[in-house]
Amino acid sequence: MATEDVHHQSRALGAALFALGALALQGCASHSEHMEPVRSALDMGDPHGAISLLDKEMDVPTPADLPKDMGSDNALFVLDRGSIQQSIAAFDASKHDYEAADKAIDMLDLAHDAKDTIGTYVFSGSSGKYQAPPYEKLMVNTLDMVNYLEQKDLNGARVEARRLAVMQKYVHDDLGESDNAVLGLGGFLAGFTFEQSDQVDEALRWYDQALPFTGFNSLTGPVRALLPKGQYRSPRLKQLESADAPPPPAQDDGQGDLVFVVGYGRVPHKIAHRIPIGLALTMMSGALAPGDVAAANRIAAQGLVTWINYPTLGPERGGYTVPACMLDGHYVQLEEAVNVTDQVRVEWKKIEGKIILSAITRMISRFAIGSVAGAVTGQKNGLVGLLVSLGAQATLTALDTPDTRSWETLPARVAIARVRVPAGKHTVHIDARGVRRDVTVDVDKGGWSVVSLMALR
Amino acid sequence: MNTTSCLVVALALAAPLSAGCGPQYVRGADNPGIDQPAMSTGLDKDDIQRSLHKLLDQMRAAPIMDEWRIKAGQNDRQTVAIAPFLNETSEHIDPQLDAMLSETETWLVNSSIVRVISSERQGDMIRQVEGAQHPVFDPRHIPQYGKQLGVKYYITGKVGSSDERTDDARRVQYFIFMQVIDTETSEIRWQQKTYITKAVL
Repeated sequence: MATEDVHHQSRALGAALFALGALALQGCASHSEHMEPVRSALDMGDPHGAISLLDKEMDVPTPADLPKDMGSDNALFVLDRGSIQQSIAAFDASKHDYEAADKAIDMLDLAHDAKDTIGTYVFSGSSGKYQAPPYEKLMVNTLDMVNYLEQKDLNGARVEARRLAVMQKYVHDDLGESDNAVLGLGGFLAGFTFEQSDQVDEALRWYDQALPFTGFNSLTGPVRALLPKGQYRSPRLKQLESADAPPPPAQDDGQGDLVFVVGYGRVPHKIAHRIPIGLALTMMSGALAPGDVAAANRIAAQGLVTWINYPTLGPERGGYTVPACMLDGHYVQLEEAVNVTDQVRVEWKKIEGKIILSAITRMISRFAIGSVAGAVTGQKNGLVGLLVSLGAQATLTALDTPDTRSWETLPARVAIARVRVPAGKHTVHIDARGVRRDVTVDVDKGGWSVVSLMALR
Repeated sequence: MNTTSCLVVALALAAPLSAGCGPQYVRGADNPGIDQPAMSTGLDKDDIQRSLHKLLDQMRAAPIMDEWRIKAGQNDRQTVAIAPFLNETSEHIDPQLDAMLSETETWLVNSSIVRVISSERQGDMIRQVEGAQHPVFDPRHIPQYGKQLGVKYYITGKVGSSDERTDDARRVQYFIFMQVIDTETSEIRWQQKTYITKAVL
């Protein structure tokens, strides 16, 4: 009778564990797996399809709707939708999404606490709240500024510039990053915003931050022309001031300014990666505690659950593209203002070791949990104990989803140009990766216009 | 009772509980407390009411209002326009500032001591002064607006902010200023301020 009970129990337990494992496997697709159809739609040149897929993923009826819960993945989906809306010149929709996502991502970042860190070391890489890397925090406001400038809304652009300044100070003071190349592009756009708002000193402060980065040669002339109107000086601006005479202001020449902002390609997204425990131990031998190495070696020797799951970077798209910009039928030289892919890789290098380490730690935790479960249930029957131990480990392995969350639709590179044009109507044609935009802009005497293209193929 | 029966009973008990857990629409009149919680670092109805309460109370007792009352008593009601509040903050609070403007306009109209020029009419006038490409209110051009509209006084304001972010907090301190400007002389005839702080801690 007792043997029959044990058989019943072990069958029931086995079935329950199998069901749990299957359920876990089904419900644990990583963020980048959810995003795969969206990436494919963009690759095929179907941004509207990509937006519909994101709406479906967020369970919202239209692209104007926000999800009820702006938690981790949804905040990123909204951010992605904002980028794609910008790529189809739906600037109002893009602003709506960027601003909602900006706040949601900031809230997630502020809410991140010790529980999330423990979760990533014990349970699953994606169990914690999403923490956006510095370049993402800076790019939200930078790209949203483009939306406002496209619509000639200096008031909105100034708000985004101020938000960028807050984040820039935080990234500099608290995260210790002062050389993030995204600041070059942000400084260029914020400087332009304040220049056109007649806030000369604020404009000079921003331009001064953009000038040390490569890709802003077209800025030296306009900054030189602005210097006599303002008081703010830095060693860099003083040097520029003494170099040559300022060009005449655009208004005096009966001219205006045109700025082009071209984003192209997509940054590398994260992909789930599995490596054998032996390889992981070799890679991380210096960073693991001796006790953990011994525990991991025991698991490796047991030969049971011997793979670790962790995210890594996939390839970028379109990084070698040469975007073309034509103004009234003549080519305009674009300069690469920021290589966002480089920022993604630099940031990834900083955290990659910690991520592999946490994956190994999770594997050891799973083994420990499995052993305890096996020991408790297997006190009377060793086979049941072994099954429970293996089942617990397998279930926890299935639940361990690598954290592949990131802003996947960021352009890989952003190029810019600033040219002076005679007042009047001008035709602009921008082309990158087969995505084209043709517009006619009307520039007033002393006026300005910003034309952008985000080719996210 | 066997295990299966226990499970069925537990599920039956849990079902109505879970049904009531989702978000629900509620009416402010039924639940006055819903206006109380701060839901973002932007400005909300409570912030607007508090700041206007202070600003308009001060304005009621200001010498410029006495002057307007005297003129109204002499059947010479002064013409006043209300200009958009300038947003110099790090938050997109322009709709809330427009609401402040409308509340001020309502208060002034109901006071019956001045003639208030509709803000819709001002849009055309701003377009005439600033040009169609950039039709945005610019306080430096108040004398021109005054001349165009035949307005003696402008009520305007601006909101600045100090926005700070640390690892675990974000705080926005708002500084709200309201002023009455004489369009002929550009003299500030009255000015008052109020502060609001919002934070995520």
